[in-house]
Amino acid sequence: MDFLVLLIATGLVAGATYGLIAIGFALIYKATGVVNFAQGELVMLTAYIGYSLAGAFGLTFIPLLLVAVPISMAVGLVLERIFIRPMLGEPPFAIVMVTVGLAVILRGLIIVVWGSQPANFDAGIPTTVIRLGNVPFYPAQLIMIAALGLVVLAMWAFMRFSRYGIAMRAVAANETAALLTGVSVSRIHALAWVLSSGIAAIAGMLFAANFKLAPDLWFQGLKSFPAVILGGMDSIVGAAVGGIAIGLIESLSQGYIGEGMREIAGFIVIILVLMVRPYGLFGSRDIERV
Amino acid sequence: MRTGHLKTSPGQLVALSDSPAVWAWVGALAVGLILLPYLVGNYMLTLVVSAMAAVIGAVALNMLTGQTGLISLGQSGFLAVGAYANAILLSDYGLPVWLTLPAAGLTATGISLIVGVPSLRLKGLYLAITTLAFSFIISHIILYSEGLTHGPNGIFVKGARLFGYDVQRGWPLYYLALALTAGTILAALNLTRTRIGRAWIAIRDHDIAARAMGIDLVRYKLLAFAVSSFFVGIAGALMSLQLRFVNVDVFGLILSIEALAMIILGGMGSVAGAVLGAIFLSFLPEVLRIGFSLVTDPNSTFYTNYVYEIRGIAYGLVIVVFLRFKPDGLVGMWRDAKKYWSNWPLAY
Repeated sequence: MDFLVLLIATGLVAGATYGLIAIGFALIYKATGVVNFAQGELVMLTAYIGYSLAGAFGLTFIPLLLVAVPISMAVGLVLERIFIRPMLGEPPFAIVMVTVGLAVILRGLIIVVWGSQPANFDAGIPTTVIRLGNVPFYPAQLIMIAALGLVVLAMWAFMRFSRYGIAMRAVAANETAALLTGVSVSRIHALAWVLSSGIAAIAGMLFAANFKLAPDLWFQGLKSFPAVILGGMDSIVGAAVGGIAIGLIESLSQGYIGEGMREIAGFIVIILVLMVRPYGLFGSRDIERV
Repeated sequence: MRTGHLKTSPGQLVALSDSPAVWAWVGALAVGLILLPYLVGNYMLTLVVSAMAAVIGAVALNMLTGQTGLISLGQSGFLAVGAYANAILLSDYGLPVWLTLPAAGLTATGISLIVGVPSLRLKGLYLAITTLAFSFIISHIILYSEGLTHGPNGIFVKGARLFGYDVQRGWPLYYLALALTAGTILAALNLTRTRIGRAWIAIRDHDIAARAMGIDLVRYKLLAFAVSSFFVGIAGALMSLQLRFVNVDVFGLILSIEALAMIILGGMGSVAGAVLGAIFLSFLPEVLRIGFSLVTDPNSTFYTNYVYEIRGIAYGLVIVVFLRFKPDGLVGMWRDAKKYWSNWPLAY
């Protein structure tokens, strides 16, 4: 029984990471219709930026967030301007391939700048163990789960009440119609990248605090794909739920099926999901016309 | 510019090229390639063989992604299957190499049908993600089925002999690679001009419209997967012969991205483009190495320390820059240049 509870606890923490990264994917896909293959690299880049900031100024967690998130947002804006904006109007395949290219570039640059050795980065979070019932948690793990909840809530409120959030939903529903009603579509696209980089910063720093900061962090981005697909690509709540589900599935299959299942359980799940429902569990089905 | 394409027989319509100049150049290229081992050193020959493996892989990926429009990020998975099949059959079962090469291709084909089935319902990005997932699952299976693949230890590939020659080094390897590459390119060029090739292009341009015109989507998509992965499997087998050692780590995600970069650089959907792109990208690390040694001082270890990162950044830049400025790739540039000179001085 204890074993099961422990597996569920680790699954929840891993799932919260996937959920946070997946929300970044979903946000960009919803607003711009592009799957951002560089999301994992964005998470890694922003985590390294946070690492350098924390090292330079010795910040604790909350001030670090307040500094690192806006800087990451600016980085996201710059990347969007340089790489994605010039591709406006090109076929989606070309834009997606540009994000693949961007991903490889960022991956290389991060190693050239920060080196390939893993680093310990606690993001200013204390490491005293907290017990909930009889399950031990690190504070960073609890903050990760809390962060997922807060981000989902904030994004929901943003989409529901904010003028820009409503504009973003309008762009997602029909880009041309949104343009005709006076929404600046390119500004919404940039906004999606900015918000997504901010969320990436939170996810990246918390992941580094939970595990370690190494230049293979980008792989978490690929491992979050199952969550996005389970959630249906364009649904933010779906991405969060999908993330938690994938985290639990991975943890339980590692515990009960066999060593190494953690690495591929999520990928097996998406292949199965896509065979049954090619548009994900929460996604909207497209109607195609010739 | 040539005008008056008068065809007087059906044979002329399906000829690979009706231009004597093209045939003359192809002949010259063939003679040059056959004489190459006498002209260049061993190091260069090794580079050329790697480039040929890349050409086979890129031409094969081009059938799937460029011609049929099925985006695949699973190239590294199929390469791994081909390389491992070849290595296991050669080293552990001692089969002759003329049997293991096609067997490697067929193994990859068999596996591709498993991947192809879910792909029938998926399009575009979902397919890209599925093939990506598949390549991770493949390397996981290779890593954990130790009885067959020796798991993390890898396999030493040895005992590949053809007509009494050791085809794992020097000029015998080169001629084997040359024959495989020429065969693949010829097969790809010929497939493009058949019903199958035209069906693939129709599926790429609009699958629902293609279906309405009577193209069996299930059959032709699976066929694209099968044919493409057969050749990718052969490319993998060739890699395993050259490297003489296979290990899961060799077949990382970067190989899939490299292959996509090759066909984007060359020009999607064109066999010549895939060949050009593969050649350019295979020699890019060498060019970078020489470039860095010219710019930095001789004692700098910057390039050797970051060789993989610099290569990755270069691939990324190639993808981004070509998609942004030259979406038709090298083939498109060549076409433009040809048009410019044949109309000179009255271009436009």
